[in-house]
Amino acid sequence: MGKIKNVFSTIGLTFVKGDWMTKVSYIIMGFGPLIRGYVLRGVAFLLMEIFFIVYMVKMGGFYLSKLPTLGTEETHMDPATFVTVYGDNSFMILLFGILSIMVIVAFVVVWYGNIKENKAEEERKAAGKPVPTLKEEVNRIIEDKFHVTLLSLPTLGIFVFMVLPIIFMICVAFTNYDYNHQPPTHLFSWVGLENFGKLFSFGGKGFGHTFVSVLIWTLVWAFFATFLNYFLGMGLAILINRKGVKFKKVWRTIFVMTIAIPQFVSLLYVSKLFAADGLINSYLLKWGWISQALPFWTDPTWARVTIILINLWIGIPYLMLITTGILMNIPEDLYESARIDGANGFQMFRYITLPYMLFVTGPYLLTQFTGNINNFNVIYLLSQGKPKTMDLTGGAGGTDLLVTWLYSLTVNDSNYSMAAVLGIMVFVVIAIISLVVYNMLPSVKDEGGFQ
Amino acid sequence: MKRKALSIMLACTMAATLAVGCGSSTSTDSSSSSTDSSSASTETAEAADTAANTADSTEAPADFDYGSGNITLWVADNVVDFTKAQAEQFIADKGVDYTITVEPVGEGSAAGNMITDVEGGADLYGFAQDQTSRLVSAGALQPLTGTGFDTWVSDNNDTGAVGAATVGGTVYAFPMTSDNGYFLYYDSSVVTDPSTLEGIVEQCEAAGKNFYFQIDSGWYNTAFFFGTGCTLEYATDDDGNFTGATIDYASDKGVIALQEMIELASSSSYQSGSAIDSATNIGAIVDGTWDAEAAKSVFGDNYACAKLPTFTGTDGNTYQLSGFGGFKLLGVKPQTEGGKLRLCLELAQYLTNAEVQLARFNEVGWGPSNIEAQQDPGVVSDIALAALAQQLAFTIPQGQYPGDYWTLSEAMGGDIISGNIASDADSCMSYLENFQSQCEALVQ
Repeated sequence: MGKIKNVFSTIGLTFVKGDWMTKVSYIIMGFGPLIRGYVLRGVAFLLMEIFFIVYMVKMGGFYLSKLPTLGTEETHMDPATFVTVYGDNSFMILLFGILSIMVIVAFVVVWYGNIKENKAEEERKAAGKPVPTLKEEVNRIIEDKFHVTLLSLPTLGIFVFMVLPIIFMICVAFTNYDYNHQPPTHLFSWVGLENFGKLFSFGGKGFGHTFVSVLIWTLVWAFFATFLNYFLGMGLAILINRKGVKFKKVWRTIFVMTIAIPQFVSLLYVSKLFAADGLINSYLLKWGWISQALPFWTDPTWARVTIILINLWIGIPYLMLITTGILMNIPEDLYESARIDGANGFQMFRYITLPYMLFVTGPYLLTQFTGNINNFNVIYLLSQGKPKTMDLTGGAGGTDLLVTWLYSLTVNDSNYSMAAVLGIMVFVVIAIISLVVYNMLPSVKDEGGFQ
Repeated sequence: MKRKALSIMLACTMAATLAVGCGSSTSTDSSSSSTDSSSASTETAEAADTAANTADSTEAPADFDYGSGNITLWVADNVVDFTKAQAEQFIADKGVDYTITVEPVGEGSAAGNMITDVEGGADLYGFAQDQTSRLVSAGALQPLTGTGFDTWVSDNNDTGAVGAATVGGTVYAFPMTSDNGYFLYYDSSVVTDPSTLEGIVEQCEAAGKNFYFQIDSGWYNTAFFFGTGCTLEYATDDDGNFTGATIDYASDKGVIALQEMIELASSSSYQSGSAIDSATNIGAIVDGTWDAEAAKSVFGDNYACAKLPTFTGTDGNTYQLSGFGGFKLLGVKPQTEGGKLRLCLELAQYLTNAEVQLARFNEVGWGPSNIEAQQDPGVVSDIALAALAQQLAFTIPQGQYPGDYWTLSEAMGGDIISGNIASDADSCMSYLENFQSQCEALVQ
């Protein structure tokens, strides 16, 4: 609060106390610096104002004025000539409307900078300091303020390619952009919280039941995919690390081989392998061990278990590699003293190895967990979210994660607004889990624990 | 569209010093859309008499100005060369200043791309009829009403094909083929009598071979439902909105069809699938003419085709499997210039006329939709097309279905295959009641 008050008092006081050049600068940016001889700064401020005005007149104003309705004129065909006349494009209006708001905010910031600049120049003058030469100014940009020069382009890029699309997608969640409202032919418009209401409605066509069911499976999947891999990978590393195991490097190499094959190749291959007409079922049938193909991909429960198991095969080698290095780092004397005290193998694992591992790999576990919540590849390549069932709405299947469901909503159903709502929900889920778990991590709670 | 938007944004934000130049280039976009109405009205005047002249014929007046430019076509991979040659021939004969670009985009992705970005899409594109209503509602198809081309389409093609190109009362596309139906390919050393479903399943089981029938698809499962006499139809208005539904799946007939599918799925020889390339150990497969070459190479000397079999329902009656008759269509994107629109329509007409359809059949084996081309001796003697022609007698020309119908049908198939539905009549009935009510709810 105090900061905002400060900003406004600076704006007011500078105007009242400033000289006429400063006062003119409130309307013509960079006027003060230009007159006082700070040419580079003056030109920069002036150019920014010109850019802003041109932008707002040429396109910003148009899109901004349409933003509240997202367009009113539908695309239509001229009945006499059969020629199509494109009307408002809600997609473009939303996108450029948001961009215009960002430009306005940026302009206000620059305008405030312009006022502070005038104030600083007056103070310099009062203190009797000389006006810096052009050379000094250039030096300032590439030396003293080099971090600003260096980071301005990447920051701009982040705003245009990351922040803008994110804001755009969030806004889509509050519109009815779907199959029946596709630009440029049709308009879409704001609907407020209607989509969120649909997501949490549990009767009839509501998404509530499906959302809960998909969310639970997403969390179950992320839990098993993270922790089973973690403990089995660690177990494998401990096993190979044991004294008396011969050819350690050979074993490690064998397991690392699975990493060498691109994941999508092995996943597609394994998916085919377990299919009803795949190799495994064909041979089991041929040998007479089963009379009916095993429903690896057609029964929801089977499919879920199969996916978790196949994921082990992909994930364990990575964990083995990571933990091998950390295991070697645990001081040997800890184990020695434990042995002298009569601890058995399990006790040593429980009280020495595990706390140490959790301490070092806690943040890694968390990122793995959140990564698995959004693990599109494994699910999509193995089962495409199938088996589908009428129990779930919105085309969701038994093994769909939130993110693969989101994908099918956009690609198959063109239901962009519900997909945007789901995207927001995925963010909320991940944010809650990350914040809660992060603060519980031993490496955060007890930073000096193993120093 | 997103790509375009991003590139414009990139250009705008490149540097503040470029602001003036950039601002003016984007301004043409926004100002032109606001002044479009005035420029359009001048065009209206000059083109109004053109429309009057051509209301009943597809001939353009002698001095018609086509303008110049570029026409992009999206067609399936295997007809790219063929289409390019034909289209260039057409342009050369016509003597207009247009260049032709033909890009290989399969029917499925063409429809998907057109729906996501109409303005960036091709001017002419091939698609399968299940996408027609989606394309109409996305505004990606130029209606042919009043241009004279709609009467040409309905006079020269079989009724099924015309129905597939029609939404509401408006014709939206030019039929290219009438071969998008399915029938039975089988290995004659495994299946000796393809006339009954039970027989095929039994023989496949005995030989340890697979019988492929993709019942988790709204396109293939109608073989059963329509076979027992069920109806599933949607009514659409001219804009592609679904206004009504006639469905009687939740009936005794529907139960018989569902029970038959459950029984079929419980066979050890049953596999879901309809692509020969990814099928293994095939005894028989329900598939379409597009896989004819693959089927020939898989079955070799035992290659055989037949219409779909009959089955004996739980009520003891015999039913003939039915299904959809399907079609490939050529669509024209709505155009903003009258001359180019006219040329696009004429090019589409040319690419779907009897001679070109026949030439396409000879080149890549696509079964023609043109009535005249269908009488050609070469077409009549093709084994796969003959089986399809036999089957087509039992099929229902596919109309327009909402996108979610396919999603729902896939879900039903998933439930059948995973054994989620008990096979007694009561469970089947309550399942179908749910399915039907969800199908009906797709009408706005």
